[in-house]
Amino acid sequence: MLPAAGEPAAGDSWGMLACLCTVLWHLPAVPALNRTGDPGPGPSIQKTYDLTRYLEHQLRSLAGTYLNYLGPPFNEPDFNPPRLGAETLPRATVNLEVWRSLNDRLRLTQNYEAYSHLLCYLRGLNRQAATAELRRSLAHFCTSLQGLLGSIAGVMAALGYPLPQPLPGTEPTWTPGPAHSDFLQKMDDFWLLKELQTWLWRSAKDFNRLKKKMQPPAAAVTLHLEAHGF
Amino acid sequence: MSQEDPAGENYSTTVKRNQVLHWSWESELPLECAAHFIRMRSMVDDARIPKPGFWSNWSSWEEADAQNMLGHDPLFVFPKDKLVEEGSNVTICYVSRIHQDNISCYLEGVQIYGEQLDRSVSAFELKNVSFIREKGTNVFCKVDQGGVLGGIVLFVSKVLEEPKDFSCETQDLKTLTCTWDPGSDTGLTKQPSQSYTLFESFSGKKTLCKHRNWCDWQVAQDSQETYNFTLLAENYLRKRSVSILFNLTQRVHPMTPYNLLPKNVGATKATMTWKVHSIGNNSTLLCQLELLAEGKVIQQSNVSIKVNGEYLLSELEPDTEYVARVRCAYTNHFWKWSELISQKFNTAEAAPSEAPDVWRNLKMVSGHPTVSLFWKPLSKVHANGKILFYNVIVENLDKPSRFEVLSIPAPASSTELTLDQCSYQIHVTAHNSVGPSPASVIVVSGDPENEEVEKGRVNGTEDGFSVSWKPQSGDATGYVVEWCDGPQDLPCVLQWKNLGPNTTSTVISSGDFRPGVRYNFRIYGISTKRMAHLLEKKAGYLEELAPSDNPQVVMSKLTSHSFTLSWKDYSTESQPGFIQGYHVYLKPKAGEQCHPAFEKTVLPEDSVCCKYTIDNPEQKTFVVENLQPESVYEFIVTPYTSVGEGPLDAFTKVTTPDEYSHTLIHIILPMIFCILIVMIICYLKSQWLKEKCYPDSPNPYKSSVLSLIKSKENPHLTIMYVNDCVPDAIEVINKPEGSKIQFLGTRKSPTETEFTKPACLYLLPTEKNYSGPGPCICFENFTYNQAASDFASCGHFPVTPQAPPHQLGPLTSPENLLKALEQNYMNSLGEIPAGEANLNYVSQLASPTSGDKDSLPTNPPEPALCSEYKMQTAIPLGLASAPPSENSSLSSTTLLGQGEHCR
Repeated sequence: MLPAAGEPAAGDSWGMLACLCTVLWHLPAVPALNRTGDPGPGPSIQKTYDLTRYLEHQLRSLAGTYLNYLGPPFNEPDFNPPRLGAETLPRATVNLEVWRSLNDRLRLTQNYEAYSHLLCYLRGLNRQAATAELRRSLAHFCTSLQGLLGSIAGVMAALGYPLPQPLPGTEPTWTPGPAHSDFLQKMDDFWLLKELQTWLWRSAKDFNRLKKKMQPPAAAVTLHLEAHGF
Repeated sequence: MSQEDPAGENYSTTVKRNQVLHWSWESELPLECAAHFIRMRSMVDDARIPKPGFWSNWSSWEEADAQNMLGHDPLFVFPKDKLVEEGSNVTICYVSRIHQDNISCYLEGVQIYGEQLDRSVSAFELKNVSFIREKGTNVFCKVDQGGVLGGIVLFVSKVLEEPKDFSCETQDLKTLTCTWDPGSDTGLTKQPSQSYTLFESFSGKKTLCKHRNWCDWQVAQDSQETYNFTLLAENYLRKRSVSILFNLTQRVHPMTPYNLLPKNVGATKATMTWKVHSIGNNSTLLCQLELLAEGKVIQQSNVSIKVNGEYLLSELEPDTEYVARVRCAYTNHFWKWSELISQKFNTAEAAPSEAPDVWRNLKMVSGHPTVSLFWKPLSKVHANGKILFYNVIVENLDKPSRFEVLSIPAPASSTELTLDQCSYQIHVTAHNSVGPSPASVIVVSGDPENEEVEKGRVNGTEDGFSVSWKPQSGDATGYVVEWCDGPQDLPCVLQWKNLGPNTTSTVISSGDFRPGVRYNFRIYGISTKRMAHLLEKKAGYLEELAPSDNPQVVMSKLTSHSFTLSWKDYSTESQPGFIQGYHVYLKPKAGEQCHPAFEKTVLPEDSVCCKYTIDNPEQKTFVVENLQPESVYEFIVTPYTSVGEGPLDAFTKVTTPDEYSHTLIHIILPMIFCILIVMIICYLKSQWLKEKCYPDSPNPYKSSVLSLIKSKENPHLTIMYVNDCVPDAIEVINKPEGSKIQFLGTRKSPTETEFTKPACLYLLPTEKNYSGPGPCICFENFTYNQAASDFASCGHFPVTPQAPPHQLGPLTSPENLLKALEQNYMNSLGEIPAGEANLNYVSQLASPTSGDKDSLPTNPPEPALCSEYKMQTAIPLGLASAPPSENSSLSSTTLLGQGEHCR
């Protein structure tokens, strides 16, 4: 203990020591300093955001390879075909007003549902792929996308939202329908990759928004101490 | 086929009663592109009815219009997802429901142009289509700017090839393995890769092969010997097959032997053992054992075995690495060798089989005969192992009981022995871990070698030096040619070559021989006593070169007409070729012709030169004669070989001297010497000379003037002696201040000025505020005026008023002057009234520290009068300046009173 300016009396010294002991006794009870508590959804949102960005990057390379595998015109940069057979794919594009009106739970639910569908279609794509290298790339991407799904589920759980239950009979399945021509199938593949790209872009925005929302305000810890009996 | 084209395509078949006919026909133009029509007619085909029969009437056209079944899409492209083989022609079409003209179609992104069938249908014929990718070739049509798009994928398969190199074999008579080359893969996403099926016709069994290029077939237990296999390859478009017929025992390809090991490996023998996989019961295998050394097969043996193989390899080289390899084949019917199995092994060492090749070099070191022994390392064939050391046994032949043993560890290849004058027999043996080699014996004697032998030259060729010699007269057991591999200036790497007794020539070749290097060969004959005698010496060049350097030439005996050149230090031995002589080049003076002994030549830089050729390489001096005096010559001496001469780059200049210069030198040198002697004497006697010729104080009594006067014997011109003069009076007068300037301005030429007043010499007052008339002494003796003026450069001398001349005395020295001044002053004190005489006389001759000022009275009487003197003797200035004698007194000759009378 550093000596004060004046020479305190013996009684004063004892009083200050008792005060310090009281402060130390109450310190673990201060919430801001309690490190053992639940960190909240912040870190998992951050991780989900990071994973989204990583998948965006990974998809850029994969899409290039796959579209070359489909051949022209699918690998042409300005190819923008009508969405003929890809009606069942979840659309990422949404009206801005509608998007803004969505709450966190709805957004997360839509993300979760979209990636569940996309993952299923993607696995079908993988089964079709002829070259081993392409199959390896697709399998790797599917694993990453599976991880994103788990991550979103984690965020939802952290925020206390229930996971969406798939309705019986509406589970997406990849079936190479006989009526579906190979050209339309290629169009579906094209749209699958395009939707995936848009969904990842949208998710990055969603998770960034959620991340900012969940960020606690600048912490200011004020210790209010009451010294009784001094 | 349109209604308007009834030719179309015909199909005929026979049907029986109540039979339903199925006919499948594929249209070249997709059915969706246009309506197709069909009609039929019939005819009775019965043997009972004579031919030709009669056709029935055609039925009405039946229309097949697939367009009706299309959906509501705006644009269709047909045929959908068609599978064709490479090289096929395919017709595609689009059906548009929007009736627009701006529809364009593309094949793999490249626009294609077709034929419009009607308003909404266009057909495109793709000829000779090729495989592009497994995912199919994309064909699509779109309405420009409309966002309407339709397309198909055309799957083009590669053509299925017939399997090549189809064969079957067995390793164990239990399983047949059939292999083939499948050719290209015809797999597409629309069509799996071609499948292969193996049929055996005798057993009727078949198996679907899991692999593209091989298939296993289990041999049945019923000992079927002959098999007829058909391999069928098929895909969606085509089937190809190939068949073989064979006997099972003729298709046995044994498995690779195993456990190939060396056993009992000796220096020259080794036993190899190995095992084989058994084939059936009691079947034998023929195994081939090969022995390889340094990658080459040196032995090959065939061994028939059942399971265990063993073979003894002999005639092996000791300490050698070998590779043994074994392969086996089915003995009953040879079909194929098995794969090889290899094993490396080393044979054991044996004692070296040959004596080392030994040679010696004798020389005297510190007066003792020293023999250097050299030996070549044994070749691998003869060493039979790693040589560990060499034993050198030196046996004194004169004292047989004495011998010395030296053990020299490998890889040393030489040793040195110091001997005495006795003869020695030296045995050299090489030892490896097994034992010694046979000994190499050489006899040396302490006597010096006879170097006086025949010398010759050898010519070098591409192969080396062809050295030959005369056979030795006595019995020679062989010859040895000895040389050094390196140039002469490097330490000798002694090389030698042993030759048989009947040989008199050999070619010495070495990769170390270089052009332009002199190699010396010594040929020795080996006597029956194993002693070597030098027979001949040879020297030669692999290729002679022109000399690279010129000798260092010393010029001597230079005269006006000749000089001598010499290059005694030039060694002809160490040159890049045999020196045949020298060229002496002399650049003559401009316009001068070459001496007849010289040959006129033009140098590379186009300058003319005189050349003299010395054709004796040992002549190393040359006298250049017939030169012009006082001329510049340039010379160079360059040696020449058979190839050329040395570089003509650095000429030396020499200037011949004047013809008479040596005579002049004989005169000038003694003269210079004499002058020097005189100068030294003069220097040593300078004081005496000075006193003699130009003393500091001229003495009239000793002056040369006297002699001049005497010689002329002029009675009127005499030297006035002071003692002989008695001044009457000294008149001191006051002179006005302004007259000083006048005097000073005219004193240099007093004779030219007409003085109305006597010239005055001021006596300097010490007090500046003195305003009275300055005291001065006036002289009229102009002879001494000049002298006084000269003396003024040394100092003024004060003159005291009324000082009698006789009392002045010699005033040349300051002391005398002061004394005289004091004396005169004291004498005059009584005559000059006090207060009038107030003068200080300062002598500039006196040192300022001499205390003159203090010694003088502070208030001396002021002189009021000026003394005047009349000229007594007119002496020319030149004579007056002659050196006066030491005792001469200036004042005595100058201070002459007006009324003085000379006696």
